[in-house]
Amino acid sequence: MSPAAIGPIAPIALPTGSEVGGPRRVGDGAAFGDVLGDAIASARANEATATDLAARFAEGDTSVGIHETVIAAEKANVSLRYATTLKNKLVEAYRELMATQV
Amino acid sequence: MDFFTAMEVSASGLSAQRTRMTVASSNLANASTTRTAAGGPYQRRDVVLATVPMNNASAGVSGVAVQQIVADPTQPRLEYDPGHPDADVDGYVAYPNVNPVEEMVDMITASRAYEAGVTTLSTAVSMAERALGIGR
Repeated sequence: MSPAAIGPIAPIALPTGSEVGGPRRVGDGAAFGDVLGDAIASARANEATATDLAARFAEGDTSVGIHETVIAAEKANVSLRYATTLKNKLVEAYRELMATQV
Repeated sequence: MDFFTAMEVSASGLSAQRTRMTVASSNLANASTTRTAAGGPYQRRDVVLATVPMNNASAGVSGVAVQQIVADPTQPRLEYDPGHPDADVDGYVAYPNVNPVEEMVDMITASRAYEAGVTTLSTAVSMAERALGIGR
């Protein structure tokens, strides 16, 4: 989930006849859904790590430290919020487009 | 997200300081241990730290890890106590080369370094949160 994963913003272009209908990629940038999907996948992976560490810590696994557990939880928190922020931006952009006066 | 690299580096520092703390407590606990599995009095332990390159990080950034825990080779402290079962023919008992004052200083250093690591970590987290707040 590096900043580089967010592709360049594709310029707005009129769709050509063959492209109309169904979701598609615009220009060379990654589709927004892919970016959001990556963010969600990363958030889920971090959440799974945090849950695993918390369970192992609770079971008394001595190789798991307190700070490792808390840091994993914090990472999961940050990546979930990143995914949420992306989702909010997507919805906001969608609403903006739907409000376009024709 | 690159803030995670900062978090991982801080985490490695925290682990290293935790080990230093463990070693200091081991030294203090065994400050008057005269019998060990290897024979002779307990030998003071020291932590050797080494850098660890972080994966997918910018060049030059490295974490830290405990490379090894070594025994301090200085001579044991001799105390005259002929009644002790571990006394030698002259009545001297070899006690560990542990100086409790030194260990307390090590402990405080480790604790302060741990605090510094926690501060780094929470700063990285709050920076990431600030970044998420852009445009809100």
